[in-house]
This record gives sequence, structure tokens and C-alpha cells, in this order.
Amino acid sequence: MKTNNYQKSGELFNRALKVIPTGVYGHLGPAESCFIPVDAFPFFSTHAKGPYFWDVDGNRFIDYMCAYGPNILGYNDPDVDAAVKQQMEKGNCVTSPSFAMVEMAEKLVDTVEMADWAFFAKNGGDVTSFALMIAKAATGKKKTIMVKGGYHGVAPWTQKIGHPGIVEEDITNNIYVDWNDIDQLEKVILANKDEIACFISTPYHHPVFEDNQMPAKGYWKKVRKLCTDNNIVLAIDDVRCGFRLDMKGSDHYFGFEADLMCFCKALGNGWNFSAICGSEKFRDAASSVMYTGSYWMSAVPFAAGKATIDKLDRLNAPEYLSKLGKKLQDGLVSSGKKHGFDLKVSGHPSMWFMRITNDDSFMIHQEWVSECVKRGVFFTNHHNLFMNCAMTEEDVKFTHEVAEEAFKVVRLNHPEL
Amino acid sequence: MKHDLTLANINLYAVMRNLEDLCEMDSEMNELIKNQNLSIQMSVKNGPMGLIKFEEGKCQFKRGKHPATVKMYFKSPVHFNNMVDGKANPIILKGFTKVKFLTKDFMTLTDKLSYYLKPTEELLKDSKYTKINTTLTAYTAFFALAEIGNTDPLGKHNGSRIPNGNIAISVEDGPAICIEAKGGDLKATKGMPDNYRASMAFTDMKTAGDLLNGKIDSYSCIACKTLKLKGYIPMLDNMNKLLGQVPNYL
Repeated sequence: MKTNNYQKSGELFNRALKVIPTGVYGHLGPAESCFIPVDAFPFFSTHAKGPYFWDVDGNRFIDYMCAYGPNILGYNDPDVDAAVKQQMEKGNCVTSPSFAMVEMAEKLVDTVEMADWAFFAKNGGDVTSFALMIAKAATGKKKTIMVKGGYHGVAPWTQKIGHPGIVEEDITNNIYVDWNDIDQLEKVILANKDEIACFISTPYHHPVFEDNQMPAKGYWKKVRKLCTDNNIVLAIDDVRCGFRLDMKGSDHYFGFEADLMCFCKALGNGWNFSAICGSEKFRDAASSVMYTGSYWMSAVPFAAGKATIDKLDRLNAPEYLSKLGKKLQDGLVSSGKKHGFDLKVSGHPSMWFMRITNDDSFMIHQEWVSECVKRGVFFTNHHNLFMNCAMTEEDVKFTHEVAEEAFKVVRLNHPEL
Repeated sequence: MKHDLTLANINLYAVMRNLEDLCEMDSEMNELIKNQNLSIQMSVKNGPMGLIKFEEGKCQFKRGKHPATVKMYFKSPVHFNNMVDGKANPIILKGFTKVKFLTKDFMTLTDKLSYYLKPTEELLKDSKYTKINTTLTAYTAFFALAEIGNTDPLGKHNGSRIPNGNIAISVEDGPAICIEAKGGDLKATKGMPDNYRASMAFTDMKTAGDLLNGKIDSYSCIACKTLKLKGYIPMLDNMNKLLGQVPNYL
């Protein structure tokens, strides 16, 4: 199998470094995205279609990162893009917002089980921050409980003391608990009686570099009760899982009802907006907080959002993603086993996490991932991966072939294992 | 913000411990200690303790309290830090007959150490100088980051987040250092560890030197493949945050 060459990518990256700090910053950059080794990965794409993107050197990749989640129907989905073009001809960012915003809110209220209203912003972090503000406005309290290792964006409150740019006051009102530990949560609530405004968490635990964990039996029902009994707002960060597990929301999937639900990523199939949905009880609090942004009511993403939700519904996307994901992951695990590697899969099949457990350093896993990427299957080694609706059985078959060869290469490189 | 105890720990455990490498790498300094046979115990109340030993043409640094021919005492970390800055004198408890060495040869050694740790553009044009500068700067920075992770109020947060295991730091044709993390405590040692869970490898001395002298950033080095990371990245991620605090102290 031919392996990729990234000469042009490297040249363009050197240009980028001159004008952009770190060249490509954040989660798409080579450092944060853990490109190990760097020369196995492309830096820039030229175009994308369906489950694939092509880099500047002409290499094609099946993209299992899906732009870190937004690509759920496939890149340049014809139905979504048609809706986008239609709205672009009418207008986008206008003084008086388009009614498309209301239609999008109606779509969410009718789709998401717990939603009585919806409010829009741009990024996931905008709405997780808003969730905290709503909780504080509604309860008059100031502290937030969050799960260790959980990710809720990059606002100062979501980061850690000791990180560059973060001061103690940014995180003073945060309390951290372990995932699935109800006793700990109960103790923390008791120790901070009448001070906790919000418990914010992802619906299941999907940190980086760790096996993902599902909620223990009864966990969410107990959390729900503790929050209700103690006047704590239960906010679910469904930014990553939203519409991949359940069209009605991941709280519905796990059998409980959140007070606030944050969505982004899959919402517009790459068209930029986020949403927070809430129950009736928190409508007043949401109304009372001054929260807005220059592009938050732009119409084009709403048109994309409506088309995306409609199509996901039509395709029964969560089921499709889950079934195809399971098939893909079973094949990867069995291929690894054949070559003496224990590939452990965790999380939900539509957005699984995997790691080779033969060593505890991720080094073997990083080698295998890099061999896959060099052959056109884009995985990352640190983060959960994503399925999308444009992926087919053919793509899964090709991925299995690449994975098999990659395992062979790693095996040859490591006769000692 | 500098924390007095952390600065004292860095001054002794990261900066002054470089004397052993200085005496090995710089021929003049090697000549200077050739016939010396004495040891200096530095003890800081509520602070670091270490021994600098000159014997058979070599200098050796050891942490902790050991038998010594010269004993220096400091009332506090601040007292010790002031001595390092040339603003205070140590309290000599033993070795009064060795004062000449302390005021002359030892000063020459510490001055030469400063010369290598405080480069100028002009000096960095000399490859011999640069090699010693990079080696000593690398040792200083990585030994210092362990101290920051152990005692600096902010650094302790990042230090405690480093998962257990060894981090191997190496420079091609240059120094290697191991940072061992165990239950939130960090220990730096010279040399490549046999086993490690994460690795940070510089492909050349120039990259290491430029990075440690603040001329380039690590993100760019990673992208340009002159700094190679692998393994359990949360270890390196948290360690790099400590490395980012080092310039506050040095």
C-alpha cells in the first residue's frame, strides 16, 4: 500500500508560522492534536466531500475525526448545502434577524425531548458558559460542580489553575468530582449547602487519553434527584454527543431529564452555530441574562441546522452511526488481535475511543495510528473518534485493510512485543 | 511571582549543581579544580541542602546533608538567595582555613557558570560556547522545573497533574535528563532512563538552545519536527507548563 507524502503541507506550514502563532493553533494544530510523529499527518486540506478530505499534497483521507464532530452527514452534504445556498440569496447577518431563527428554535423544541425553548450562539463554549450564567441567575448561587477530566470549552472557568492565562479567581467557584461517584457528589453538595448553582457534565465521560466511561446503572437518576432536592441546575454538555446518540438528546438516551442542554458540533453539519435548550422553569433566567454576539443570529447556519436535523431524523442517524461504528470497531479489534495487539474500544460506537493496551505509554498506539494516517485513514491517538452518515460499508472495508497493514508494520517494528 | 523556597531550591539544586558539568566541560575550570580536595556543605534553614565536592580533578554535587570540610549555613531561603545574588554572605560554620578557596577559586567557578548561563548574541556565535551553554541551560531548566512542580504554589498544581512514570528528555549529541513523577513529586536526574512513559527529544543542540533561551516556541519546534514528542502526552503537557514557569525564576 502506498504511503503519503506531505511536502507541500510542510511548506505551507512554514508560511503559516510566520503570520499565525504556532501555525495552526488549538485542537486542529499538530501539537494539541497530538500528531505523533508529525511527519505522518497533513497540516492543511484543499477540499472535502462526504466522509473524505483531501490535503494540499493530493492525499485522500477517510476522516474519522469529522472536523472533531461537526461533520455528521458528510462534508458538503447536498441537502444542507442547498438550504444554505437558498438562505444566502435571501440574507445572512442582518439588523432584523431572519425568521429562520424561530424556525430553528421550533425544530429543536420539537426534536429535543426536554426542550421548551432554544437560544443560539456560535460555539459550544458560548452555550456552556451561558448555562452557568442561567444557573446562577436562576438560583442566586455561585458555585459549579464539574467532573474531573470533562471538557466544556476554553473559557477561563473551564481551564485549570496553573495553565497559562488562568488566574486563581477564574476557577474559584469550581468544584471537581470524579465521574460516576455519587457518594462524592453527595458529600460535596452537603459541604457546600446553598452555594451550588449548577452541576455541568457530559452525558457520558469522554476525556482525552483515557478509556471513555458510560454512566453506572442508576447514576443519572440519582444525580437528577440530588440536583432537584438541592435546587441545583442540571446542565448537560451535549456538544460532542448531541444527535449522535439520540435525536431527542443524550439525557433522553440515558433516561433522565436535564434542565439545560448545550448543543453545537453536529447541529449544522459544519455551519457555525450552537444552541442551548432549556425547560420552562429556566426561561425567565435565560431571558434575564444579557448574552449576545455579532453573528449569533445569522440566518445561514439556521438554514443548515434545519436541513441537518431533518436529514438526521430521516436517516435515523444515531442507529446508522452506531451500527456502522460497531462493525468498524469489531474489525479493528480483531485485526489487532491477529497481530498480537490488544486494541481496547470504549465509549459509544458512534464516537468511540480506542487505544492499544500492550504498553501504558500510548507509544505503540501512536505508531499504529500514524501508519493508518500515512495510508489514508485519519485517526488521532488521544481523542474519541467519530462516525458520520456518509460513511459506507466500503469505507469500513478499506479502513480494515489499512488497519491490518498498519498492524503488520508495527508488529515488524516491534519483534520484542 | 517568585516563591522564596522554590527559588532557593532552584539556586542550589538546578543552578549550582551545574558546577559538576562546568568543571567537566570547560578546560580552564577543570584546570582550576585539578588539585583541589575539599567539600562544601550548604545548608539552608527550612530550605535546600547539598554538597559540592572537589576531588581528583572532578566536581560532584549531592543533595542532602553529608560530611564536609567546609560548612555554610543560611538562616533562610531568602538569605541563601541573597548570597547567590551577591547581596549577602554565608555563615561559615566549618572550614575557616579554606576561605581563600571560597573567595577566589569558588567565585571564579560561579562567575564562569553565570557566563555560560547568561548568553549574549555575540557569545552564541561561538559553537564551543553554545554547546556548553545549551547543556548547562538544559540541565538548569529541567532540574528547575522539577523544583517548581514540587514547591511553587502554582507549579504544584501542574506537578501533581503529571501522571506517574518517567519522562525522558534528550538532545541529539547532547544532554539527557529524566524527570520521574511519583504521586505528585518530581525528581530530575541526569541521563536517559531505561524505561520511560513519555519522551521529548530535540533533534539538535541549536533547537534546544534556542527554545531554552526563549528564541523559539515549542509548538513551532514540534511542527517543524525539531522537537519530537511521544508517549503519554498528559505527562509532557503538564511538564511543559512547568517549563513555562522557569523563566520567572532564572
